[in-house]
Amino acid sequence: MTPGELVISGEYDIVQARKAVRQAAVEAGFGLTDVTRIVTAASELSRNIFVYAGTGTVRWRGISGDTDGLEITFEDKGPGIPDVTQALEPGYTTGKSLGMGLPGSKRLMDELELTSAPGEGTTVVIRKWLRF
Amino acid sequence: MYSGAESGGAIAVLHLGEYLLVSVPPDPDDDTVALLQIEVLRAMERTNAQGLVLDISTVETVDSYFARTVSETVHMVALMGGVTVLSGMRASVAVTTTQLGLNLGGTATALDVDRALVMLEQLLAQRRRR
Repeated sequence: MTPGELVISGEYDIVQARKAVRQAAVEAGFGLTDVTRIVTAASELSRNIFVYAGTGTVRWRGISGDTDGLEITFEDKGPGIPDVTQALEPGYTTGKSLGMGLPGSKRLMDELELTSAPGEGTTVVIRKWLRF
Repeated sequence: MYSGAESGGAIAVLHLGEYLLVSVPPDPDDDTVALLQIEVLRAMERTNAQGLVLDISTVETVDSYFARTVSETVHMVALMGGVTVLSGMRASVAVTTTQLGLNLGGTATALDVDRALVMLEQLLAQRRRR
């Protein structure tokens, strides 16, 4: 599949990110339910960029391990998250959402890695592997 | 009728007798979802509607923002004396919504619009008997 990237700088870019990620997931060979899982996680994480950092970047690429898969990276230079462990617990929020985005995205994907430093920004990498 | 500018999705609230029917556009942006709530509440106020069918059969992705807005709308419609049935959720959306951890809080649901209208009639008949 073709790797790509998209800048998130407005609310409507969340829709564009969903569209681009849907196409990448279909191209990567995922079935409908996994495509929906991946697009939903991408929607949550793109919205986090917009809501907390204002702007950032979404990048996607095909990956290979035991099987093939899809990796999507959400990167921003926003305020960052002081406690990444806490941020992955359901219901934790700074008040702008339900606090389901990060823990929910982790459940929808096979892997989620969160790195963040206050004042420097946040990077979330998610991966889903094809199953046969 | 308003149009959700860039999404190309128009929010049309149809008035069928004592019911309102809203078909949610396939991939609504956040503004369109917010507009949907406003339009539904305006229509509730303007008409004598007792019930609302919110059809999401074309919706491919339900994320936390969408679910929260729908859930809020159902609650607001209830405060205005209306009953809502959510219809047409796709299997892939049902799986994803559940795994994401979203809770549509006891919202009445139906497989399609026809069944939703039947359910509304039953729910309203129950209410009249009480």
